[in-house]
Amino acid sequence: MFRNQYDTDVTTWAPAGRLFQVEYAMEAVKQGSAAIGLRSKTHVVLACVNKANSELSSHQKKIFKVDDHIGVAIAGLTADGRVLSRYMRSECINYNYTYESPLPVGRLVVQLADKAQWQVCTQRSWKRPYGVGLLVAGLDESGAHLYYNCPSGNYFEYQAFAIGSRSQAAKTYLERKFNNFTASSREDLIKDALIATRESLQGEKLKSSVCTIAVVGVGEPFHILDQETVQQLIDTFEIVREEEIAPADPEPAAEQGAAADQGGTENQGGAENQGGSPMDI
Amino acid sequence: MDQVDFNAPHSMGTTIIGVTYNGGVVLGADSRTSTGVYVANRASDKITKLTDNVYVCRSGSAADSQVVSDYVRYFLHQHTRIQLGQPATVKVAANLVRLLAYNNKNNLQTGLIVGGWDKYEGGQIYGVPLGGTIVQQPFAIGGSGSSYLYGFFDQAWKEGMTQDEAEELVKKAVSLAIARDGASGGVVRTVIINSEGVTRNFYPGDQLPIWHDELESHNSLLDILGAPEPMNI
Amino acid sequence: MSSIGTGYDLSVTTFSPDGRVFQIEYAAKAVDNSGTVIGIKCKDGIVLGVEKLIPSKMMLPGSNRRIHAVHRHSGMAVAGLAADGRQIVARAKSEATNYDSVYGDPIPVKELADRVASYVHLCTLYWWLRPFGCGVILGGYDRDGPQLYMVEPSGVSYRYFGAAIGKGRQAAKTEIEKLKLQDLTCRKAVIEVAKISIYGVHDEAKDKDFELEMSWVCDESNRQHEKVPEELLEEAKAAAKLALEEMDAD
Repeated sequence: MFRNQYDTDVTTWAPAGRLFQVEYAMEAVKQGSAAIGLRSKTHVVLACVNKANSELSSHQKKIFKVDDHIGVAIAGLTADGRVLSRYMRSECINYNYTYESPLPVGRLVVQLADKAQWQVCTQRSWKRPYGVGLLVAGLDESGAHLYYNCPSGNYFEYQAFAIGSRSQAAKTYLERKFNNFTASSREDLIKDALIATRESLQGEKLKSSVCTIAVVGVGEPFHILDQETVQQLIDTFEIVREEEIAPADPEPAAEQGAAADQGGTENQGGAENQGGSPMDI
Repeated sequence: MDQVDFNAPHSMGTTIIGVTYNGGVVLGADSRTSTGVYVANRASDKITKLTDNVYVCRSGSAADSQVVSDYVRYFLHQHTRIQLGQPATVKVAANLVRLLAYNNKNNLQTGLIVGGWDKYEGGQIYGVPLGGTIVQQPFAIGGSGSSYLYGFFDQAWKEGMTQDEAEELVKKAVSLAIARDGASGGVVRTVIINSEGVTRNFYPGDQLPIWHDELESHNSLLDILGAPEPMNI
Repeated sequence: MSSIGTGYDLSVTTFSPDGRVFQIEYAAKAVDNSGTVIGIKCKDGIVLGVEKLIPSKMMLPGSNRRIHAVHRHSGMAVAGLAADGRQIVARAKSEATNYDSVYGDPIPVKELADRVASYVHLCTLYWWLRPFGCGVILGGYDRDGPQLYMVEPSGVSYRYFGAAIGKGRQAAKTEIEKLKLQDLTCRKAVIEVAKISIYGVHDEAKDKDFELEMSWVCDESNRQHEKVPEELLEEAKAAAKLALEEMDAD
């Protein structure tokens, strides 16, 4: 487990120009259960896999409402995620108080990324990088947006994305379909979100109890769908799915998924293989 | 009669002027510094150097205006480093004056006119009156004497004057204000700034034009009354 | 590497016996691994170009920009950690506005570069900070004409006719040296920069996808820092691709 002497401080550069502490923080994102986001022109859908720690406990909440027009899904250290979503809420409220208008999503993610960046840049014994990745979904004057903020202080805007453990399968699914998402209807988007979620379950049956879905869009403030609605949707779509998948041979699809999985591992662990810093992507 | 308060702050009930002409600027001022009704200095210099190519005309409290110009001179010295040793521009100097005048507006009682020449924008005049606004103007007038000059300047100032025309205008205006304004007086000083450099001129009170029914200046009452006859017994 | 394991390379406040600060050299490595960033000074302005590598095809074009505006007349292109770059840009912006409010004049490019360099250097002086993992190329236009500066993680800044950092800097520099910068207009330079980024430098085998990001400050843009107009960028890309095909055909 112990790698080298350069990996214990956020302020120490490794000889190859890497910051291991930040990379490790990004590993923490992969430990969390999967979170998925996708957007059309008018809507953004967030989905996540709920994992309960034991049979007796409930699962941790992974999707948070920030404001009427913004919500986040997190993967990684849930506690860090809650700190950050509380920060985002207060930024939205402050902006709304000052300007009497909703905070543009693009502005919020920059502030969020800058906050994460400060943790990375200054080192005190009581500070460490945040160990959480956030999918920020929002709607503003310029349309629907989906951003991914990671512990390194980077942020990216995506058409569709998945983070967290076993998210590669979901990503593979999304990569195959994302070109059509812009024109998707709200229902299609939710359907794709559910299917992508199922992909990351790796065989486990998709039930409303293991996933959470949230939607924000034109004329629809950010809200988390209740369990019955989700179950209804699953039921409707599962039928469709059977129809779709049944005629086709399921094997190639699985193979493709596996192949992409390898590619994805290389991508994610690119730092290890290429010697490049994963943060400069 | 009320007692004269010699402890009152020195103030420059003043006439100050800055005028642009084709090639530079002419600054002008009277020379009276008063303490209440007492003339504390009848030949003061109200046109102060900020850099080689920028001067400022001061009005209001003598102390306040001096402090502001001293600070600006100091800041401009620092700024010369930024500009690789090149002199600061008039705009930069005026903006520093504004910064101090505005930031300390509650404690300052001074109106200033900044004038100078630089190679980028030629001759420029900036007025920085009491509240700390900054206005670039083709000409600016200030001080208590300026009230008497607005109409005159509207009539007499012309775009693209020569240096001599401009200086003549300034001299005439200051002497007019001196004639009407009790708080302005003494001599007229001018400073001319252009690409060639700086010229300072001094016009003693007895060489200024006479207005209205003013009396000629005289050295002594004896000149008017004539020398008394030797007493004959 | 002789530095590894000596213990002299763990803190930015430690000198090695031969007088080097390894932490700064390591930070510079992060820059060397990044996509190439190019800046050139032409007779009428500055052109900045970035080979922005794209980690996922689902990422939207225009996301995660590496060229930032600093103030009206200057811009910055970042190589290395983009997040660190944002901090430098934020500092540059505040220096520029601060200068403007004190002196009532836009900050001269040299002064801006000096101030940014001081800030970058500051982070090499304390044990509780780390040197920035990014280098920036700063292009601006002031009274003394267009100027180009590069600030490195160590905090040094030099003025250049043409500068390149990142993975492909060597190849890019060789190409820039071939240009006649004295006679080149920015409009032509945009095409040259595209050619350098696309066929001179980009390694298609290693890095899959990339986006060419370009900006300029020149007479044509009214001495303002702007994105290169869309149609010109497309023209430049097309010209570069054509040149690439011709190369391959040879």
